[in-house]
Amino acid sequence: MNGAGRGLSLLAGGVYALILAPVVVVVALAFSADNFIVFPPSGFSLRWFRALAGNAPLLAALGVSVQVACAVTLLSLVIGVPAALALAKGRFRFREALTGFFLAPLLLPTLITGLALLLFFTRLRLTATLPGLALGHMTVTVPFVIRMMTTAFATLPHDIEAAAATLGAAPWRVLRRVTLPLALPGVIACACLSFLLSFDETVISLFLSGPRAATLPVEMVHYVEGRTDPLIAALSVVLIIFTLIVVVAVERLVGVARAVSK
Amino acid sequence: MTGYLELTGLHKRYGESIAVHDVSLAIGKGEAVALLGPSGCGKTTTLRMLAGLVDPDRGTIRVDGADITRLPAHRRNMGYVFQSYALFPHLSVARNIGFGLEERGVARGDITRRVGDALALVHLAGLERRRPRELSGGQQQRVALARALVVHPSVLLLDESLSNLDAKLRDAMRHEIRSIQKSLDITTLFVTHDQVEALTMCDRIAVMHRGRIAQIGTPEDIYERPAARFVAEFVGRANALAATRDGGGIRIWGAAQPMNDPGWPSFDILIRPQRMRLLPSAEPTGDAMRVEGRVLRRAFVGDRVEVLVEGPGGQLTVELPSGGTLPEEGTAIAVAWRPQDNLIFPPDAA
Amino acid sequence: MNTRLPLLLLPAAVFVLGIYAWPTLLLLRNAFNEVGPTGAMIPAWSLATLRDVFADGFTLELTRNSLLLSASATALALLLAYPLSLFLFRTNSRWRGPLAVVAILPMLVSGVVRVFGWLAILGDRGLVNSVLQSVGLISAPLKLVFNWTGVTIGLTESIMPYMTLALLAGFGRLDRTLEEAARSLGASPWRGFLRVTLPLSLPAIALAGGLGFVLSMSAYITPKLLGGGRVFVLATEIFEQATTNTNWPVSAVLAIYTLVLLLALLALAQLASRALAR
Repeated sequence: MNGAGRGLSLLAGGVYALILAPVVVVVALAFSADNFIVFPPSGFSLRWFRALAGNAPLLAALGVSVQVACAVTLLSLVIGVPAALALAKGRFRFREALTGFFLAPLLLPTLITGLALLLFFTRLRLTATLPGLALGHMTVTVPFVIRMMTTAFATLPHDIEAAAATLGAAPWRVLRRVTLPLALPGVIACACLSFLLSFDETVISLFLSGPRAATLPVEMVHYVEGRTDPLIAALSVVLIIFTLIVVVAVERLVGVARAVSK
Repeated sequence: MTGYLELTGLHKRYGESIAVHDVSLAIGKGEAVALLGPSGCGKTTTLRMLAGLVDPDRGTIRVDGADITRLPAHRRNMGYVFQSYALFPHLSVARNIGFGLEERGVARGDITRRVGDALALVHLAGLERRRPRELSGGQQQRVALARALVVHPSVLLLDESLSNLDAKLRDAMRHEIRSIQKSLDITTLFVTHDQVEALTMCDRIAVMHRGRIAQIGTPEDIYERPAARFVAEFVGRANALAATRDGGGIRIWGAAQPMNDPGWPSFDILIRPQRMRLLPSAEPTGDAMRVEGRVLRRAFVGDRVEVLVEGPGGQLTVELPSGGTLPEEGTAIAVAWRPQDNLIFPPDAA
Repeated sequence: MNTRLPLLLLPAAVFVLGIYAWPTLLLLRNAFNEVGPTGAMIPAWSLATLRDVFADGFTLELTRNSLLLSASATALALLLAYPLSLFLFRTNSRWRGPLAVVAILPMLVSGVVRVFGWLAILGDRGLVNSVLQSVGLISAPLKLVFNWTGVTIGLTESIMPYMTLALLAGFGRLDRTLEEAARSLGASPWRGFLRVTLPLSLPAIALAGGLGFVLSMSAYITPKLLGGGRVFVLATEIFEQATTNTNWPVSAVLAIYTLVLLLALLALAQLASRALAR
């Protein structure tokens, strides 16, 4: 009836249950009244949200993460959008090779990138600093922005920029009046996802964090390693809500599946 | 030959393939010329070179005597109507049409007035604030036309501009564009693969084939006196009949023909289907060209009838006005035509 | 207009060269350094560290663990992601968009959050054990986390969305009318799937499998947290050597070794996909 058939739909439903299970359980656990990770919880309360509000290390880490993510988003757009424009519109030699070069960081696992950056930044005394973390995250977000925006620029309506030129618009006027306005939803989506990518980035942050500067996911990993109470669940609920807002925004703008896939 | 718009020796290659090969063309002020040809013949590339959207490898483009070959697109003052219309989806109809005027620094009040005039010209008054996606295909096409015309371009370029419209609308727009073009007396170059468009909308037609201009002439020239076999077959329909030589005479489908010998060993004779007539096989035809065959099929096409005749040398189509009596399928029949309707081209000169 | 356009690439080029290419070369360079008896790094151009790493039986064990874990996670994820993507590809429900987003949700939710969810599901006092105990199926809790099982489940879930996307991209090239044609020729839905859809999607399966494998091999958070320090894979060892032991030459050698394995696996998946596409 829905084009997929009953058996397949049922099967997909089961898989969905599996995908959603950890998220649903985390949300339920956040309202637990227990001292430990017990599911189902023996009672419900808001105590872990109160505990969260009073947890200085996690709040400090949240501050670090927000600062880093803001800087990363801004810089990635500043570096990535012009490059994407050149790669999408340019007619120069080695364009294909250059595109490959700029997207190469997406190929390496963050485990390797993180290690390489640790070795590099230790010499520059950039480990456990905000600039160090931001630069580290940018190895993920800059290629991401370039990839997404190259597609966005390349898929603008056919001949639309040529039309502006024949109407008397000089190249930079075409850019300002046609290309950028049409690419704006893509840019905003890019900004949202870059923020999210930086905010959630864990492995590179683990390599580059230290007592002086640790991002939220790093503090969360350390917390989960050391303690077994539902505090992280409460924090997760906050993060999930935040993520959902961003995801819905991006979905409205360009479609999530298109944004995260190649 | 000099003209208002002059292309001399335009040449463009993409890698190995030559898109446009030494194209020269002179168009008078206010004249409408069609670049007609099958897809891939280089007509759109030629148009884009005129607009400055493609750089020619060689050759010059002059408008009113001034060489604009190396001028960037935005300084050429040419109106271009794109096949896809290329309307700006983020701007209203009025802003779309006013775009070129804004780029030229025209005062705001004048822009409003001229946009209004342009909309009236294309019968879209009142749609100023719509977005392009809220318009029908025909309306979008009119906006694109108004946008190109409102800046008073020196030349109007239309790229397959009617190909995205349905047949009825296409007929209406054809006449509308032609009358606007004539009333504004604007020099126009029209790219199309549709011969009806070319024949009805233009003063002259340049038929393009494989990057070259195969023939330039009035619609009548092109149709009645095609300079090449390609032109004869592309513009209008034609039956191709293989002619052979027998002693001193020419034979088609085995029958001797009363025509002059062009002197080639073997060649094809092309005849328009509507220049042929059918007659009972016994009836004499005097000094007309004539072949014998059998009626294979008849097809009623509204105002006319097509009769498919099969003979010893293959098949041919005869087109007759509908309403007359038709021979039954299977009847033996003679097909005759006047020798002056023969279109003859040297062999291998396609 | 395009003559100055390449200049826009300059900032990105400086960034990629300085913060990506150069550190990666530095990582390569570190693999040739030696480790002194005190654990201090001795700059050198030698293969001593490489030799030591591969002479150590532990490296072999790590490799085996990584490959086995990745293989099982990839196989499981394929079994789950395939019907999911096929459903998303075929459904014409008006919820298709949101459903597609939910399918790739794990990609967007922080890995730590998801791992924490699995701890609550699979832990000694988690959902699964509570349910099984309350219905009396088991008396003592099953050990589902801080071991191989937990890591496999966590990895499966974390790679699934990527594989779903890869499969969907593959299905995109699949003509739906082909299966309808099979149906019109008398094939049951299941036979139509077996004879048309499945064979045509084999190249996508190979690519998705390769992707899932590579992602599991390089995952760190999941084996670290769900393994509870009892599951040792290449990724965890690289991190331990680099941070806890600050043994850079060894971590560099292990990292490059892992990278070579990954590239080989990816190439294999590509080859398989191409061969299957014939």
